[in-house]
Amino acid sequence: MAPAIIETGGLSKSYGDICALKPLDLQVPEGEWLSVMGHSGSGKSTLMNLVGGLDRPSAGSLRVGGEDLLMLSEDGLARFRREFVGIIFQQHHLVPYLTAVENVMLAQYFHSVPDEAEARSALERVGLGHRLKNRPGELSGGEQQRVCIARAIINSPKLLLGDEPTGNLDHKSTVMVMELLRELRAEERFTVIMVTHNQEVATWGDRTIYLDDGVLVREERTRS
Amino acid sequence: MAAVKLIPQLLSWAVIVLVLLRGFPARRPIVTAACLSGFLVGVAGAVVLFRSFPETIPFGVVKSALGTGFLLFWGISVVALYRSTGRRVATSGGARFVTTSSGAGAGALLAGIIAGAVCACRLPGPDGNLPALLTLVLGAGILTLFALAVEKMLPASLTVSPSGVLTAVVALLLFSSSSILRLDLFSPLSMKVMKGVHDFVHQFMESVLIPDHLFVRSEVWGYIGLLFGKEVGFWGGMVIWFTPAILIALAISFERLPSVAHIRQGAQRRKLVAAAIKARRYRLVIPVLSVAIFAAGAYQSRFPSVEYWDPKPVPVSANQEGEIFIPKKGEIDLEDGKLHKYLFKQGGQEARFFVLMTPGGQLTVVLDACSICKPDGYGQAEGTVICYYCVTLIPLETVGKPGGCNPVPIPFAERADGVAIDGKTLINSWSSTVSATARVKEGGK
Repeated sequence: MAPAIIETGGLSKSYGDICALKPLDLQVPEGEWLSVMGHSGSGKSTLMNLVGGLDRPSAGSLRVGGEDLLMLSEDGLARFRREFVGIIFQQHHLVPYLTAVENVMLAQYFHSVPDEAEARSALERVGLGHRLKNRPGELSGGEQQRVCIARAIINSPKLLLGDEPTGNLDHKSTVMVMELLRELRAEERFTVIMVTHNQEVATWGDRTIYLDDGVLVREERTRS
Repeated sequence: MAAVKLIPQLLSWAVIVLVLLRGFPARRPIVTAACLSGFLVGVAGAVVLFRSFPETIPFGVVKSALGTGFLLFWGISVVALYRSTGRRVATSGGARFVTTSSGAGAGALLAGIIAGAVCACRLPGPDGNLPALLTLVLGAGILTLFALAVEKMLPASLTVSPSGVLTAVVALLLFSSSSILRLDLFSPLSMKVMKGVHDFVHQFMESVLIPDHLFVRSEVWGYIGLLFGKEVGFWGGMVIWFTPAILIALAISFERLPSVAHIRQGAQRRKLVAAAIKARRYRLVIPVLSVAIFAAGAYQSRFPSVEYWDPKPVPVSANQEGEIFIPKKGEIDLEDGKLHKYLFKQGGQEARFFVLMTPGGQLTVVLDACSICKPDGYGQAEGTVICYYCVTLIPLETVGKPGGCNPVPIPFAERADGVAIDGKTLINSWSSTVSATARVKEGGK
């Protein structure tokens, strides 16, 4: 079995009196595709935000890629996010007045330096070679999500986080996006954590965990 | 008081050590030892020179060392800019030598020697002032240790290239010498530029336009006149003063980025490029700060914090024979080694002159003007008289000798109780001198 890229021990997160994530022990081996399922408010996004260094836990331990995220300063967390994590959101969060290639270059800029040729190549890899100069408003939902994927993988992350990445897509676009992610994962060998409501989307992963009211209630292996 | 006067020099010394340590981080022990021993040698050498020779020689030696350093800096800055284009030059071996233990040690030793000598020149009576010398050496030692401690606290990312080290060291040495009138380089540089431009324009006009400059209108002459202003020297001097530091900064900003074509992963490739750009940006910090230090040196040179002896001219008159007589003793003691100014008026004309006893014990009478500059007059400071217009320093020993920037000598008769000057000769001498040099006639300072 591959070494764990994510290790949590009693990891929890509270917002005031509300406990969004109750003490959780979880290990994710390197290269695994983990689907996280649960109802709204079950703590899925909270878990993703903690693992991605977007938020700090209230208690417990959290190691990602050998780094103890609790010990990192704000600058350290920013570096961790910049170099280690790629994130795909349901709402895309593309900059509306930048073209597709410029949106990808923006991620390069915050990581190191922009390289237009590499950004173009990333968009070509996700099948958008003909849409380089289009702004998000001129792209379909599926195309926008593919720009997000190109943006998420452009800095060669070790960990790709998806927060309902297909939540706004129809079935055909969903399948297209998931196939694309599977291909890219095979090539780049990153670990995927995919938060979803959709049981069918969850089955694309190697393993699925189920959260309910901040508690891990069940897990099942979906692929061999 | 001497300690207060030495503050700029000692602070410069601390920063020199700091920059040298950061420039050669792998050679800290040898750089520290070389800096300290160099400083001691510099102080001792200056003391020996002051004891063995007249004052002008030690100052001349140190000033020559500073000038040579500045010229070397100029040369290296040009080579650095040339090398930044990627071309190979014969001096590459020299650049490699600098980074070795011997190179770093030699550089630190040389910087220490010059800095020590400059500090010694700042001391009053450097040839025999033992307590002040000991305090100076002790202060320099403490500051070296302080610099050593501070350098360890600086962020590791703040690196300094060898050319950056040279820029900072030269800038700091020139800054610390610019407050010592007889070591200051910027004022003579401005003066040389001014004289060079004047001579060139004059010769050009002579050979091309004069005598029949029929096509040159008066407005054109107005523009040509700008080249004869004092500002020509100042701005020309500034260009020469700042250019090498700017060339070094340009050379660093033009440095080629490392080749990353062989790295397969784009993010890794970009990360290396970004790190190289960041490091290059940090290496620019020292040359850019050095430009500010050069500016501070030029400012000190232009507005020195030296209190000049600048007495108000005392009105004098001639007797019936047309002779001006100034007694040796009285309200003014002519033999006190200070210049004493007088103003003589006759028939609507006037002349300003001063009387001075030279260190050789010779009384001398000279105009308060030279045959080159506008007659702004002279002041006295630190064993020299200084021309207010071109800031040239005239050693007291040479006052009374004709030529150049020296005040124009006036014939006089020395008597037992005073000096006698012919009023008519004085007025004529002033008129002929001033009519040749004054573009705007002024009554005095």
